[in-house]
Amino acid sequence: MTSWKEEIRNRLADLKLDPVRETEIIEELAQHLEDRYAELLSTGMAYPQAFRVVLAELRDRNLLATELARIEGPASERVVPGARRKNMFRDLLQDLPYASRMLRKNPGFTIVAVLSLALGIGANTAIFSMINTVLLRPLPVSRPEQLVALNNTSDNRTFPSFSYPNYKDLRDRNDAFSDLIAYRFTPLSLSHDGINERLWGFEVSGNYFSALGVNAALGRMISLEDDGAPGASPFTVVSYKCWQQRFGGDPAIIGRDVIVNGRSFTIIGVAARGFNGTEIVAAPELWFPLSMQAQLEAGRNWMDARGVENIFVQGRLKPGVSYAQAQASMNELAEQLEREFPNENEGKRITLSPPGLIGNSMRGPVLGFAGLLMVIVGLVLLLACINLANLLLARAAERRREIAVRLAMGASRSRLIRQLLTESVLLALMGGALGLVLALRLTALVVAFKIPIDVPLALNVAIDSRVFIFTLLISLATGVLFGLLPAWQATKTDLVSALKDDASFGGYRRSWLKNSLIVAQVALSLVLLIGGGLMLRALQQAQTIHLGFNPERAVEVSFDLRLQGYEDARGREFQKHLLERVRALPGVQFAGLADSAPVDLHFSRDKVFIEGQPPQRNMPVAMFNRATAGYFQAMETRLVQGRDFTEQDDQNAAPVAIVNETFARRFYPGEDPIGKSFRMGSPESPQRQVIGVVEDGKYAGLNEDPKPYVVRPLWQSYSGSTIVIVRAAADAQKLIASIRDEVRQLDPNLPVASRTFVERMSLPMLPARIAAWVLGVFGMLALALVAIGLYGVMSYAVSKRTREIGIRMALGAQRADVMRLVIGQGLTLVLIGMSIGLVAAIALTQSMKALLFGVSATDPLTYAGVGLLLAGVALLACYLPSRRAAQVDPMIALRYE
Amino acid sequence: MQYTNSPMLDRELKKGSAELLILSLVEVRARHGYEISKLIEARSDGVLRFNVASLYPLLYRLEKRGWIQGRWVEKAGQRRRRYYKLTREGKKVLAAQRSGWEEFVAAINRITKIETA
Repeated sequence: MTSWKEEIRNRLADLKLDPVRETEIIEELAQHLEDRYAELLSTGMAYPQAFRVVLAELRDRNLLATELARIEGPASERVVPGARRKNMFRDLLQDLPYASRMLRKNPGFTIVAVLSLALGIGANTAIFSMINTVLLRPLPVSRPEQLVALNNTSDNRTFPSFSYPNYKDLRDRNDAFSDLIAYRFTPLSLSHDGINERLWGFEVSGNYFSALGVNAALGRMISLEDDGAPGASPFTVVSYKCWQQRFGGDPAIIGRDVIVNGRSFTIIGVAARGFNGTEIVAAPELWFPLSMQAQLEAGRNWMDARGVENIFVQGRLKPGVSYAQAQASMNELAEQLEREFPNENEGKRITLSPPGLIGNSMRGPVLGFAGLLMVIVGLVLLLACINLANLLLARAAERRREIAVRLAMGASRSRLIRQLLTESVLLALMGGALGLVLALRLTALVVAFKIPIDVPLALNVAIDSRVFIFTLLISLATGVLFGLLPAWQATKTDLVSALKDDASFGGYRRSWLKNSLIVAQVALSLVLLIGGGLMLRALQQAQTIHLGFNPERAVEVSFDLRLQGYEDARGREFQKHLLERVRALPGVQFAGLADSAPVDLHFSRDKVFIEGQPPQRNMPVAMFNRATAGYFQAMETRLVQGRDFTEQDDQNAAPVAIVNETFARRFYPGEDPIGKSFRMGSPESPQRQVIGVVEDGKYAGLNEDPKPYVVRPLWQSYSGSTIVIVRAAADAQKLIASIRDEVRQLDPNLPVASRTFVERMSLPMLPARIAAWVLGVFGMLALALVAIGLYGVMSYAVSKRTREIGIRMALGAQRADVMRLVIGQGLTLVLIGMSIGLVAAIALTQSMKALLFGVSATDPLTYAGVGLLLAGVALLACYLPSRRAAQVDPMIALRYE
Repeated sequence: MQYTNSPMLDRELKKGSAELLILSLVEVRARHGYEISKLIEARSDGVLRFNVASLYPLLYRLEKRGWIQGRWVEKAGQRRRRYYKLTREGKKVLAAQRSGWEEFVAAINRITKIETA
């Protein structure tokens, strides 16, 4: 037969056919000649004569070569070893259709591959687009690269705020910045068209908009003239979004008057579309000149106080001034100010940072969180890559013969690797495209999610060119990553055995690679699943935390009388009236007023001076609150000892306080706390007598240790910003409307915020909930990828061992033995992976302790549960191939290959 | 080596009818090249014969035109072989050629019968 092939090859040599096509033709023709030869022999013809006849038919007038030349034509390119580089682009053009044909030929493989890549790449793109928004995308101002934020540093502490007098000195004396701007977040109550709303605005220096280069969409912006004499410029600029959403895009908005914090302001302009202030995540809706500070913040005047540091400062670098130069020059100024005003400025220095994250203060947490998310989604993508590498390895083994033929025909190895990589990169690009769509959906979901805090978070997450390039690059990198290893392996073929189609060899030699990939996958997914499982346990545990109050059937309605311009006496009057009316409402069991309520991120705390104990350098501190009678009952906080507040505990009565058990234990160990006295804040403040003790609770966070806590009567120390807390007999939600109605009847212009206590409790749970979601979703994703990968590898192993299994069965092995053999092989890999994952999980989950609400980072229930889940899924993934192995018919298997 | 026993038929018949012969043979079921050559020889009682050099260029040309389609088929106990079957387009061509051929043969018959009668 070989001689026929040789003969045919010689006839075709001049045609320069495509090597694959040529091989096919030679095979087909050689068979024909062989059949013909056998036919002639069967007629009794002698060997030599039959051979001559067949050869003559082949050579017949050189018909074959001339006809084929007309039909087939030469190969478009000869694949020659060594001929590289110059053909790269043409190679690609040639490879692409071939690659897409190969992918179409295996739709199942292609769908699994594209889907798992889309999930991996989509997750990465979504996280990156958020990082892009928060950390990479510049503020929407002119020449954003020149803008820097100033940070106030002292004693290793960095905070973003400065005093106004210091700002003025820095602004006027520095030579590094062309402009230095100041702004301050301020809470607002806005009344217009009969609506009262609570929102946030910026008080800004007169140069704010001109320095940033932000123009008006309508009217004019705040200018230097507006920031002159205090109280002389009752003007405001609204954001484009505010104009559209709150004023319906009214074209005649300029010149309209609105009531802000109880005073009339005239709208002079609408800011350019897309400008949301100089912080990235918090978007103000109105801007005011700083000259109106006293009017906006009734009763607070800090503009001349060098010790009150509460404005943010950003500067625009002069052309040619570097970051380092600016920092050095600002610190010379800081030293000058330290010499001139040592009381307020001792030890204070200035550091510069990119603007937009409340100075530099949020960069650390944001980077930490973003980094953690990137690690998780990176792991998921890695899992997807490992899976695909495994699938490709299995497929490469099936294509061994094809590859061997191409190598034998003279294709260079690098050329073949390039061909195989074209396929994997094409897969990755398809996955990337789908991933981009997924990421768009995902970010829309995240943006729509409303975080329950009272700050205008404005995450403007959008897919821009940077995100697009990221996705493209990560897709390309992914394609090369999961394609290179299999391509390398596939082309390292032993030609002779491959051409003989001796499949049982190479497969085994490469299996250690596939096996270690499976082990790595199992380990990675175990880590993710344990993280997710721990978070779920933590959420479960959080339900059983002793809060010290009962969030069920409780509601809160909060308002700030100071913003509305109430003086103390009028405010007190208002609060008393409101409380009486709310208590009279049907369905209200108890109602009380308080300054703040647990659990809140920033709970007030102050120093405690115990009577009879000398002042120390580091005075103990306690959380504190102010409340009226009825507050503890409304909260369902148990009074352990003594008495509750009454309406008589007011300014005319002796100062009193109720403390919690921890306070009593810590400051009066072994004594009866009732009747004891202490002072809060300073040794000069009035002495307070303890009249009652309430049970411990959580105040600033669910994860905190027991903390000392003091409650003073609200009627003894007034607060304008208060919360009405109401215990409902039945449905709490229904009460909210009637309480709001009572407020409206007392003051139609007072903005109020309301929610149930269950809603309030969602904030402290938020980090744990997000972590549980992220880890849980990605953990399940990883589990699915492991199952696919394990199934693929085991199926492949079974198909390669068909002959061996057949022999075993022929020699008497039972089906159960065969299944045990296959499952045992799979589970060995899983167990190795799980042991590695276990060690990694124990190490990595230590960092999650802060979120775990008392669940141990090595919680045995979680580890056992996750282990069983993973083992179960792995068992299933091995069971299906094992069943197939057990159904092998020894007779067929032995004929196989 | 001759293709037919009658030199006169050789070229004309080959050129005009060889395609029709092959299309007809793969109409009902797929066949491999050797089988096709044997069938032609057997059914024409040895009058028509194709050898390897004449048959395969023809098969490849028909395949290139999309009238037939070749596919490697592996059967138990045999080496893989390339089987050709008629495509949808090939069916249309076959129908057209068949009626054209019948008309042609009828015309020839009429002419030759008158001449020899």
